[in-house]
Amino acid sequence: MSQIANRNRNIALIFLLPAIVILFVTTIFPMLYALWLSFRNYDLSKPFIPRIFVGVSNYAEVLSSSAFLHALITTFKLMAMTLSVQLVLGVAIALLVTQKLPGMGIVRTLLLIPMMISPVIVGLVWLFLYFPELGYLNYFLGLVGISPIGWITTTGWALTAIAIADIWQWTPFIMMGTAAALQSLSPEPYEAARLDGNSRLDIFWFVTLPQLKPVLVSLLFLRAIDAFKIYDIIYVLTKGGPGDATEVISLYIYRQSFTFWRMGVGAAASFISLMIISLLITYFFKSMQRSQAMQAR
Amino acid sequence: MIAFKRTAWAACMATMLVSSAWAQDKPYAGVELKMLGIGDTSVTRVAPLVDEFEAQTGIKVHIDQLPYPGLIDKIIVESSSDNPTYQLLWIDSPWVGMLGEAGALEDLTSRAKRDAAEIGLNDIIPVQLQEVSWQGKLLGFPASGMTWLQQYRDDLIDNPDEQANFKKKYGYDLAPAKTWQQYKDIAEFFTRKKGEMAAGKPLDHNLYGASQSYSRVQGAITHDYFPLMRSFGGDYWDPKTGLCAMTGEAHVKAAEYLKSLIPYNPPDYLGLMWDIQSGFMERGEAAEAAYWSVRSVRLTNPEEATVAKDGKVGFAANPISDAGPQPTYTGTLGFAINAKSPDKEKDAAWEFIKWATSEKLMRRFAEEGKGVSQFRKSILSDPQLQAKYPYYKVLLDSQVDARRRIFHPFYQTVEENFGVELSKYMAGETPTALEALTKACTAVNTQLSMFPVEQRLRWIQDVPVEVLAK
Repeated sequence: MSQIANRNRNIALIFLLPAIVILFVTTIFPMLYALWLSFRNYDLSKPFIPRIFVGVSNYAEVLSSSAFLHALITTFKLMAMTLSVQLVLGVAIALLVTQKLPGMGIVRTLLLIPMMISPVIVGLVWLFLYFPELGYLNYFLGLVGISPIGWITTTGWALTAIAIADIWQWTPFIMMGTAAALQSLSPEPYEAARLDGNSRLDIFWFVTLPQLKPVLVSLLFLRAIDAFKIYDIIYVLTKGGPGDATEVISLYIYRQSFTFWRMGVGAAASFISLMIISLLITYFFKSMQRSQAMQAR
Repeated sequence: MIAFKRTAWAACMATMLVSSAWAQDKPYAGVELKMLGIGDTSVTRVAPLVDEFEAQTGIKVHIDQLPYPGLIDKIIVESSSDNPTYQLLWIDSPWVGMLGEAGALEDLTSRAKRDAAEIGLNDIIPVQLQEVSWQGKLLGFPASGMTWLQQYRDDLIDNPDEQANFKKKYGYDLAPAKTWQQYKDIAEFFTRKKGEMAAGKPLDHNLYGASQSYSRVQGAITHDYFPLMRSFGGDYWDPKTGLCAMTGEAHVKAAEYLKSLIPYNPPDYLGLMWDIQSGFMERGEAAEAAYWSVRSVRLTNPEEATVAKDGKVGFAANPISDAGPQPTYTGTLGFAINAKSPDKEKDAAWEFIKWATSEKLMRRFAEEGKGVSQFRKSILSDPQLQAKYPYYKVLLDSQVDARRRIFHPFYQTVEENFGVELSKYMAGETPTALEALTKACTAVNTQLSMFPVEQRLRWIQDVPVEVLAK
């Protein structure tokens, strides 16, 4: 019996081996290499600088850097702007597209298009819209007598402009998940609520929303991870400028690694951001578990 | 049978002779080269002609054209690889210290000396060769020679009504600016809204007094600030320590001056990269711009700039600060050879550089009306070409007493830190110029101070290029 179990285990290992090798080559090895780099003084553009072990000094440099702190704050600001609007808009649109109205299938498909476009293309599309002199947005604003706005060229507007582009791309994600959840809700609580004479707003607030909560938390959690890593749209639209108004964590890491070529510092910043996002995930999970436990009680 | 053998023998001999002669004539036939280049005049003019070069030499050249932002990043990755894809590299002269100290570029000194007559070494403006040298070694070859010059709307400045109004307001004659104060006066005078009059005609667009670079992207703002700072009497480095010294009075004054021009620039000034900045001059929407001569040729070509049709652009050496006469500032866009390429490919690449920068090709570009910013004395001093391109004389004259651009191995650190900090100062996020400059300098010095003072001093020394030594 144990021989058969051993053989089955060996066969299972053989089947798993390709996946393990691929995982090691594409994920584990690069991460270990980056970890190794983060403890070294490694400047790709200056081979004359000894690539020596420097302990935790790269981590200390990043954590004491005002630019890193600024990038972290900007990242959280952007997350707050995008996630809140995406949540409200996504749920509202989901409520609309799940109504049994003619043409809703087509509307749903059209609404999903932004999500399917590569972020670089989204950046380019919005670059044409925001472009200072020739952009369509300022043209249309001009038609209604509003002065042109420096969407991506003024420090006051640039982060908002990035947020608008991100909201346009990723609201459909919240919408899609919420719509799927709405369609799977049981009809009984609704019938009971209607028989009790509750208004539509009450039904949404006390029946729909509590049932949607676990799904919304999961969707928000996935979006939060993505928003924390935002890079492509910002790189295309502002490259972190004007000044450092849109410099988020990813841009900071990029600048350290591929502008200053300080690969060790860039790798250390990457691991610090990984730790931050891991803490966020843990916090999300814990609070979700706590809330589910309270509901069960 | 004998006749057949004789014929076959003769045919074999003839084939051998022809192929031997061909091999001597085209020793690099079959070599394929790749060039990492920029999508701007110094490359776009030569790129369509590489087939002609292949017909002459048998060397096939493929040119990849990339935008300036990010190009140096790709070159650094390329030069750090042991198996490079690109044998030919386009370089901007401030990169030469960075790439030179890293050993990324082939030393062209011996080749240039050997082929001095063929390449017309004495015909090249000396400072242009100096620009692409590092520690006396010639690491690139000029493909486009630049000065930071003044471009202005000659049709506006020449208008009698404008001249009279200007004199009434400022108390002196309207003419191309000789000082930065005059430059600012002219910018203020010509800043007008759509519908207002300019040179007796109503404007169908806003007219901006000046168009300068204020964007942080690829340190664009520093490309205007650095020559301006030097014309105010500042310098980059402390000659005793080799550390960043850009926090002095001249540096602060230059930054404050650049900021004082903002009201006369387009409202999106923080987004002004070089292409957008020069676009305002090309469309006739700016009265003047202090800018690198790399795109001056476009301002003379109606196919590339509407201002050449609707107006007229004049050129002059850049203004000076009140401190007194200052030299002008040069830059060179050059072609270089990747030091890690195999020898045969290096030799073939040198053949390409000789051809692509030859007097013959440069003259052809100039005569066809789509020249680059020239670097050969014979072309810049040609009276017929000077009449066709008014900026040639300015280029020639201003380089007699020209100073070299920054060439430090930490150039990218300088460009990026000053780009961000100056841009923040211009946006009003950093309250004073001194604070912005101090932040940028501190960031640079944090890295430089790890090196011994002897090394830092070596990095700031401009050793005369050996190829010009008698």
